[in-house]
Amino acid sequence: MNGLRRFQIYSIQPIILIIALIVISTIAGLLTPGFLTFRHIKMVLYCNTMLGILALAQTLVILSGGIDLSIGATYWMTIMLGSLLMAKGDFTIPSIVCIITGAVIGIINGLGISRLKIPHVVMTLAMMIILTGALYVTTGGGGRGRAAPELIRLSTGKISGFPIITLMWILLTILFAIITKLTAFGWKMRALGSNLLACHCSGISIWRVQVLVYMISGTLAAFAGLLYLGWARTPYPTFQSGAGVGANIMLQSIAAVIIGGTLFSGGKGGVERTFLGVLVLSVLFSVLSMAGLGVEWQIMLNGIIILVIVGTYSRAMVSQ
Amino acid sequence: MSNSRLKNLLYDWHIYVVLVVFWIASSFASPFFRTIDTFSTILVSAVPIALVGFGQTFVVLSQGFDLSVGAVASMATAIASVSMHWGIGPAILLTLISAFFIGSLNGLGVSKLNIDSFIMTLGMMFFLTGVNFLIRPSPGGFIPSHYKKAVLYQVASFPLVPFLILLLSAVVGILVLQKRKFGREIYAVGGNPQSAKMSGINVDLVRIKVFIVSALSASLAGLFIAARIGSGNAEAGAPYLFDSFIVVFMGGTLVTGGVGSYRGTIASALIIASIGQILQFLGITIWYHFIVKGVLLAGVAGIQLFIVGRGRA
Repeated sequence: MNGLRRFQIYSIQPIILIIALIVISTIAGLLTPGFLTFRHIKMVLYCNTMLGILALAQTLVILSGGIDLSIGATYWMTIMLGSLLMAKGDFTIPSIVCIITGAVIGIINGLGISRLKIPHVVMTLAMMIILTGALYVTTGGGGRGRAAPELIRLSTGKISGFPIITLMWILLTILFAIITKLTAFGWKMRALGSNLLACHCSGISIWRVQVLVYMISGTLAAFAGLLYLGWARTPYPTFQSGAGVGANIMLQSIAAVIIGGTLFSGGKGGVERTFLGVLVLSVLFSVLSMAGLGVEWQIMLNGIIILVIVGTYSRAMVSQ
Repeated sequence: MSNSRLKNLLYDWHIYVVLVVFWIASSFASPFFRTIDTFSTILVSAVPIALVGFGQTFVVLSQGFDLSVGAVASMATAIASVSMHWGIGPAILLTLISAFFIGSLNGLGVSKLNIDSFIMTLGMMFFLTGVNFLIRPSPGGFIPSHYKKAVLYQVASFPLVPFLILLLSAVVGILVLQKRKFGREIYAVGGNPQSAKMSGINVDLVRIKVFIVSALSASLAGLFIAARIGSGNAEAGAPYLFDSFIVVFMGGTLVTGGVGSYRGTIASALIIASIGQILQFLGITIWYHFIVKGVLLAGVAGIQLFIVGRGRA
């Protein structure tokens, strides 16, 4: 009985998030004129597109019962690689190289986890550190090169007033929502997250699904990196944190997945929930900035939201 | 039978083989590596890594993760830097009490609210990072020089106090985990929480204690870092988060819990601390230490799987 109630809390969680979004936006709109304008909401979405795509990729990995700690490092890897390759102004070949690099990093992760049986935390942590080293060694920690004009046009362009890359994020979310819910691959992926042994017994080729999931994650991270490069034009080395390249955005992506309500243990959840999670985070941060509170308050609030949200439905996790 | 004993022996000590081979190879590669000064530097830089690894070993052994260790270490430097002008004793006490509080919160969330430890401590990490920046918006503050001297006390260019800290942590870590009831309970909980519960172990209490140990040892690491850098810094502990996982996993503690020891962690801490030194002597840019660390982590994880066979991990 008690368990059922908790399960219901978990299933209506997206609705709670939507209500929270509406309440926060309304209050902010009443307090600050200009918050609820189309222009501002567009801007909030636009600024969080890259995080949104990374969180989308992270959702797929977490759904399949894994975690990708190297996602932020892959993201920065493509940003730096792309800017170096695009220095002469080419667009097509450097972009393809970047995407393939991301995919290859994902495949290596997937093979290490599925074939060599290295635990996913260890494998992706090692990958993150190796990529950090590779980045510092090749660039010395500073940005070089610049984005191709076509890429800048893509990242800053608009279709009837709406940013193209934000549209891409929304379309990708819809696409992967369909894939995870309706295709055989999506079913296998979620089955892997809920019960690995049962998957093994029912004859699912586990390693293929795992390699594919990590490959998609790497590819999407590379894609997000390219979009960021076009947005920033020249790579500004914001990755110089001691913890490792991209550690911050990687942890943010996990936070967005959890706030959206995908179970950390895998199997339950979806990319549409993560979309809501990113929205809630970004709207709240926007409110905090408008209230004149600095980034330290945003980080702190990030932690509080995670704990409050997970604390409310965490018992549903035990039901497995 | 003897084969499995050999396997166990190899599993318990393989990281020491790696350490000795690494040191011998480094000594051949560079004559500067053989000096007492280098050894001293390695010892001093191994202390914070070993201390955050201390708590992380306890947590990982009990089937958990603690992502807040870096933020707790940063918090210790921040609190120390704003409170040391009241006296060293009160400052240390204040740091340890806050760490105890944070560790209990982590443990309560994980055990009583059933939040996954990765998520619980991730949330705590974000929260603490925000708090750290409020306490210490920019690096600085006051760390008295006699505190620095005492913590880094040297006898004839040998860092006696850092060495004693390492030795003490090794003795305490190995004794508690192998000989004390608390240690055996950790292995039982990490091996199989259900059967641990059936056999009458208070699993929740063990989990809470483990996170308290982790937060306390991370704050001690932070106090050591504060003495080394001579100031408070809201991000000083951040690099130690991933280092703590590297030393624990390299030291042979399984991600799934229940298997491992602090013995391995401390050897890995010495290896990690040595990498920077030898790269410097060979004239290779310091950035390569990330690559060496990553390859070592994946490689040693591979070696462990090779030793124990694929079924165990």
